[in-house]
Amino acid sequence: MQPRGSWLIIATIVASIVFYLVPLPFDWRWFRPELPLMVLFYWVLALPQRVGIFSAMSLGLALDLLDGIAVGAIAAGSSVGVLVILLNYQRLRQFDALQQTFVIGLILAVVLIVVERLQNLLGFSSDGLRFLYSIPLSMLLWIPLRNLLRSFRRYYEVG
Amino acid sequence: MGWRLALALGVCLLLLVTFREQPIFDRARGATQDVVSILYAAAASPLSALRSVGDFFQTHRVLREENSRLEQENFILRGQTQRLAAVLAENSRYRDMLNSAGALERDVMVAEIISVTADASRHILLLDKGSRDGVLMGQPLLGAEGLIGQIIAVGASTSRGIMMTDSTHAVPVQVLRSGVRGLAEGTGEIDNLIVRHIAATTDIRVGDILVTSGLGGLFPPGYPVAEVVSIETDEGSAFATVMSKPMVELDRGRHVMLALGVAGNSRTAEAL
Repeated sequence: MQPRGSWLIIATIVASIVFYLVPLPFDWRWFRPELPLMVLFYWVLALPQRVGIFSAMSLGLALDLLDGIAVGAIAAGSSVGVLVILLNYQRLRQFDALQQTFVIGLILAVVLIVVERLQNLLGFSSDGLRFLYSIPLSMLLWIPLRNLLRSFRRYYEVG
Repeated sequence: MGWRLALALGVCLLLLVTFREQPIFDRARGATQDVVSILYAAAASPLSALRSVGDFFQTHRVLREENSRLEQENFILRGQTQRLAAVLAENSRYRDMLNSAGALERDVMVAEIISVTADASRHILLLDKGSRDGVLMGQPLLGAEGLIGQIIAVGASTSRGIMMTDSTHAVPVQVLRSGVRGLAEGTGEIDNLIVRHIAATTDIRVGDILVTSGLGGLFPPGYPVAEVVSIETDEGSAFATVMSKPMVELDRGRHVMLALGVAGNSRTAEAL
């Protein structure tokens, strides 16, 4: 069957980036949920044969260019994260909401740690473990986000 | 799947080490700067729309009050400028006597802040002026009260500036009162700059003003940077650690000034 609905995948990812960039008070930025990565994770879980490591790398590069500082760091991190999902997607789909929430949180942590390490290698010093502050809110949003994207996917019959 | 990851990681690492420095990416950096700004502007648009609606519905009274306040402020500032002109003239006479040159008056251009970058560990601003308006790499960014930072990326119509509180940024400073020199490093905290390696016996006090020293050739000398808030001397250590608070409230305000005619030192800026 011809793959269909690529536009929906791209549209949801672009929308998530725009939401991600909503201006926040200076120190609230630490808690900003990782929406683009989560939308990517959903599509990998739903369509592992279509959305994979190269999609992760492309999105990561786009996110890297938003800052323009360590271009390639988020790309590498999200590729690793998506690999974890690709290796386990069948199991992840069977998990209940709570289990899935925690596993997504864990994968996000893996991604953020890889990104942080790579940035440190280039000399962009870190600020303790604050870069992980975005994870709790992201975990809270995972289930609503998954349900929303799932209803989109079914309505537009992406497959 | 393994080879895909290997390929992806290879590309990423290659980009990591080359993208910021290699000249082949110069055009790409400028172009992405503009595209990215569109996204930031889109994300900020509801907020700015709200703001302009708010501006539109300002009451007559509020506007009149603001107008009279601004008139007063303008009057005072003009008075101060008169004095400044005299001082400048005097200063240039002294400089003539010393046979040294130095542009004293500088024009500025005002740019509006579009947004602050999403990554919380970086203190980077997106500005609505670019190379088309004459923005240059490394150009100093100023606020009303003093230094903010410098330009690190220039697109056609937008640019990006790093604040001096970013943990990768440092600015050569001088204590206004005693002339002691140091390097004010960003800490990643919006209200803190740290000056390390100041000899413990140095004449520096809480309340001292740090100004740019002009060493390094990037920032013009004399712009206020920060005010000393604490000095820590460890017993037995030869050096004191000086904490200072930026003169400009960096998380406030919607505008910055770009010092014109200051080419800046683009090599230093690109290293950031």
